[in-house]
Formats: sequence, structure tokens, C-alpha cells
Amino acid sequence: MDIQGKRTGIIVTIALLWGAISVLGWYEMYMPGLYLGVLLMFLHMVLGVSVNHKVSRKFLIFPLIPWAVVWAVSFYLSNMHANIFTGVMPNFTILGFHPSFSWTIILYWIGGMLTLTWGFMIYKDEWLSSSDWDEFKRKVELIDQGQEGGM
Amino acid sequence: MTTAVKVMIIGFSFAMLLVSLLIGLWAKRKVKTAKEYFGGTGLFGPVAVGLSSTAAVASAFALVGVPGLLYSTGNAMNFWMLSSAAFAMAYIILGKKIRAMSEIGEVASLGDISDLRFNNNRLIKGLMSVIIFLGCIAYLAAQIKAGSELFNNLLGWSPIVTGFIIFGVLTVYTAISGEVGGLLTQAFQGLVMVVAGIIIIVSFFVITGGFGNVLEVVSKAGTITAGDVSKSFGPDFMNAWGILPKSVAMAWVIIPILGTVGQPQVLTRMYALKDPKDMPKLGLYAGLAHMVVGFFALVVAYGALYLVGIGEIDPLVVADNAIFAYADYLGLYAQLFVYAAVLAAAMSSASMFLTLSGNIIARDLPSAFGKEFKSEEKQMKVAQITIFGIGILSILFSLTSAEMVAILGTFGWGTLMSGTFPVFIIGLLWKGANSKGVTAGLLLSLVLNIASLMGMAWPGALPWYVNVIAISIFATVFISLFTKEDHMNEKLDLVMDL
Repeated sequence: MDIQGKRTGIIVTIALLWGAISVLGWYEMYMPGLYLGVLLMFLHMVLGVSVNHKVSRKFLIFPLIPWAVVWAVSFYLSNMHANIFTGVMPNFTILGFHPSFSWTIILYWIGGMLTLTWGFMIYKDEWLSSSDWDEFKRKVELIDQGQEGGM
Repeated sequence: MTTAVKVMIIGFSFAMLLVSLLIGLWAKRKVKTAKEYFGGTGLFGPVAVGLSSTAAVASAFALVGVPGLLYSTGNAMNFWMLSSAAFAMAYIILGKKIRAMSEIGEVASLGDISDLRFNNNRLIKGLMSVIIFLGCIAYLAAQIKAGSELFNNLLGWSPIVTGFIIFGVLTVYTAISGEVGGLLTQAFQGLVMVVAGIIIIVSFFVITGGFGNVLEVVSKAGTITAGDVSKSFGPDFMNAWGILPKSVAMAWVIIPILGTVGQPQVLTRMYALKDPKDMPKLGLYAGLAHMVVGFFALVVAYGALYLVGIGEIDPLVVADNAIFAYADYLGLYAQLFVYAAVLAAAMSSASMFLTLSGNIIARDLPSAFGKEFKSEEKQMKVAQITIFGIGILSILFSLTSAEMVAILGTFGWGTLMSGTFPVFIIGLLWKGANSKGVTAGLLLSLVLNIASLMGMAWPGALPWYVNVIAISIFATVFISLFTKEDHMNEKLDLVMDL
């Protein structure tokens, strides 16, 4: 996916998201704030993973999109179970935890590691391959040589 | 606590201090250039960098303050402590660009990267250095205070004496070996925290029988009173948000996760890594170590809640004592590791922020004012004296100005984010970020950080730094958007496209 020409739009969206999240926080609208927070992080990673303005489709399919879904679902389920069991002890647990908090453990914490960290390991070449790095160093060397030659 | 137990805890903790000193002295032999002294640039593999990053990120607050917050307000703070995926996210966002900057010029400090990105703009470097320095001194003072009070509470030693023994030794080895010794000792201290974490996690299951029992006790215990101290329990403690306003929980998701990429202790480690292709491994090792430390804080808080709930220990007078109350209940093996882990957390963060502030005073700020050193030896000598001076002054300051340290304690993570996001995150992800926009973002960040320190009120229950970060990013982006782009040289262009 080519993001050349879209980079400025993404950065402007990032700035607007920071503003929106702050305002939502003032008014205790925490759920929309959390979903926008996931989008904010996602956009930063899209910019970070791009090489020569191209974002790897593979890296988007895994880990980025599954990570975003896992976290959004985690917040949704945490809130749902917090609302269901407000002021009362839940009538079931998940792994021994309050159902609301269990999603923080299973999806936010472990799910975050299993998607982002693991996905980063297995698709590391989509982020920075040996040839990308060697090519970068070669071009830097060429520029340095050119500058020395010109002196 | 018996005298024998106290002697063993002191022995164990001081053995850790001695090993750290020996590592620092050994590391001195590896330091040959200013680049190595200030940045440890391109010298280390992912295991050492991963452990050191976790140790530097997890300060004494993570092991003492976080269980205290969980004990008094429920689970919201766990979003912060269970943010282990943040390392992979940080490296995905910025890892290759920061590391690549060290291939196009001399990079030994964050100021060097700012110079390369913004054509040696002195104002940007100066403003950023001042904001980072504020955050560093706040962290440093808090670590010294926490470490000194630990032994003051345990043994009744004067905090000044303890502070000078522990942090005096730390200052000596940090000044001698710079970032090389700093990184290696932090890796060792990170390992101590991980080992302590594993022991305490296992003991939690033995003592409580698992999380289900904790949930039941906390949900049903009602209010427990002993003497003048009461502790009220309730089922909402144990849901994901705890009992604080939920916008606080929202901030404690976004700020630690995205904020990790803006922490100097993470940014500087990106260029300390030898091979940038090891960045995913670094994310894994740092993330796994952080998982243990994060879960360590969680089980300590849950353990303390459980013990108070079943009446085994009295309600805590000070919530921050949750970790010590729990360790004291568990007995000698837990006390040995818990006290050593808290000391390790304080020392690792203190040495990180000591080298960072030393680099700012001896390297970045002088060059922002146009002062260049004649030789690398001279610059390293000045840095050693500076680190030594800052170390001594910080010990005196943190142990004699309790009120100021408490106020500065609100600085830290968010302040550092507001100083680094305009320069590094927006600056390296977007060619359109120009010096006018970044200067405006930093200037607003500095003014608003200081105004907040002086009591400026913000709307809602959101932590104040979220507003400051948002405003500084907003200004950086929109002023850059409507002003002329800076000239970018060919090599910088290559980094931006990588």
C-alpha cells in the first residue's frame, strides 16, 4: 500500500486525534476515547512500518489489524462486564478474575504481546529487511564518497 | 523483623550494589570514545538492551507506587503496568529511524539526533534539553528518595547516610563508565527484578490459592478497621476500571503505551543496539521482562488486598507500603528479593536519568549555546565531573526538599513525552515537520509544564500531562503545515524514507 501523498493527512489526523481524545477525556467519554486511542497508535505504526512510503500488506494483515481488533474488543468486553456487574460480585470468573478485568489480562496484555511482539518477530523483514538496510548504508556511503570527492 | 533478617536483607542488597559497582568498573575499559561514553552507540545485543530498557522504564514507582495505587483504587493502574506490548510498538514506530540516524552522523545523545534532523537548530535543541532535564531530575530525585527511605524504614538509618552510600556508589560508577556501564548495570538490575518477580508470583499462588479467592475476599470483605485505620473493599475494585474516574483509566492506556516511544530511556537504547535488524528480538526480550515485572506489581497488590481482607494483616496506614507488608508476611526469602528488587528498580532508573541529565548539561546544552569542546577527552572529563556534581546535588536535594520532590514527582513520563514527541516522533515520521512548528510545540510544552507545576487547573479528571502533550503536538503539526518546509539533506532524506 503506497502512502506517499497520504503522509501529511495521516499526521494531521494524528494531531486531531490527540485533541479529540483530550476533549473526550474531559467529558468522561472514555470508551470513544479508547477506540480513538487504538486508531492513534495504529496510525503511528503504519507510518513507522513504511519503507520508501510503501506499507507492507502482510504486516497490516498481521500483526497490525488483528492487534487493533483485539484491543478494541478487549475494551468493549471489559466495559460490558463492568456494567453488568456494577456493585455486585460477578456470578462467574474467567481464569479466576473478575470477567471485566479478565479481558485486560487475556486480550490487552497477552493478546497485545501475541499480536504485536510476535508479529513483529515473524514479519520483521516487512519492517526492515537486510537488503533495505544494506541498500540504505550503501547509499549513505556513496553520498559520503561524493562529498569527499567534491572537497 | 529480627536483627538476623535485617542483616541478611542488608547483605543481599549491598551485594547487589557491589556487583553493580564491579560491572561499572569493568565497563570503564570498554569506553574509548565520547560516542561510547555518552551513548554506548551500536555496542550491545538485544538481551542486554532489552533488560536494561525494562529496568530503566520500571522505576521504584512501578514496584512501590503502583501496588499502592492498585491497593487503594483498584485495577485501573494495571493498564499501565500491563503495557508490555509497548516496546514492540515503540520499535515498530521509530526503531529503524533512530538507529539509522547514527549511520549518517555522530549520535551519542538525543541532542545529536535533533541536530541532524533540524539542521543544528540551537533553539530546538535547547528547549528539548531543558524539558528532558526537568523530567530527568524529577525522576532522579524520586528514585533517590525511594531508595533512601527504603533503608530508613527498615533499619532506621538516616536517609542522608543511606542516600550517600547507595547513590554515592551509583554516581561513582556512572560517572566513570558513562552509558556503557549504565546500560550493563541496568541489565543486571533488570535481571534481579525479573528473578524477584518470578519468586513473588509463585508465592502469590501458594498464599492465596489463586485470583478467584482474591476476588471473593475483596468483593465480600466490606470495611476492615484496625485502630484508626480502615480499608473499604467492594466488587468494583476488581473490574477493569477500578474506582477512579474512567477517563483516568483511558489515559493510563494511551499514555504508557504510546508514551514508551517518547521516553529517553527507550529512545537512547534504540541507537545502543548493535544490529538494527535485532530490533524485533529487542521488543520480545524487553516485553517478556516487562511482563514479569508488571505481573509482579499486580500480584503484590492483590496479595496485600487478600491479606487485609482475611484479617491476616492490618489495613495499611500508607498504601505505598503494600509491597513491604506483603513481603514481610511471606518471610525471609521474599523479603530478600523484594527489598533488592525495589533497590534495583530505583538504582537502574536513577543511573539512566543521571547519565541523561549529565549528557544534557555537559554535551547538549553547551552545544545549543555554541560551545564546542576541543577534544573528546576534555568533553568526557567535563561529563564525569558534571555527572558527579549532579549526583551529589540530587542526593542532597531529594533528601532535604521533600515538598519540592513531591511536586516534581508529578513530572516524569508525561513531561518527557511532551519534550520528545515534537522532535522525534513527529519529526522523524513526517518530512513536513519544520523548525518553526517544532519550536512552537516545544515552547508551549515548556510553558505548560511549568504552569501545571505551579498549579494550573485543567478541565475534567484527565491527568494534566495529556492536555500538554496534545497541545504541543497540535501546535507542531499545524504550524509546520502552514509554514515553509526546511531544507533536508540527502542522507536525512534516506533515513526518513527507510
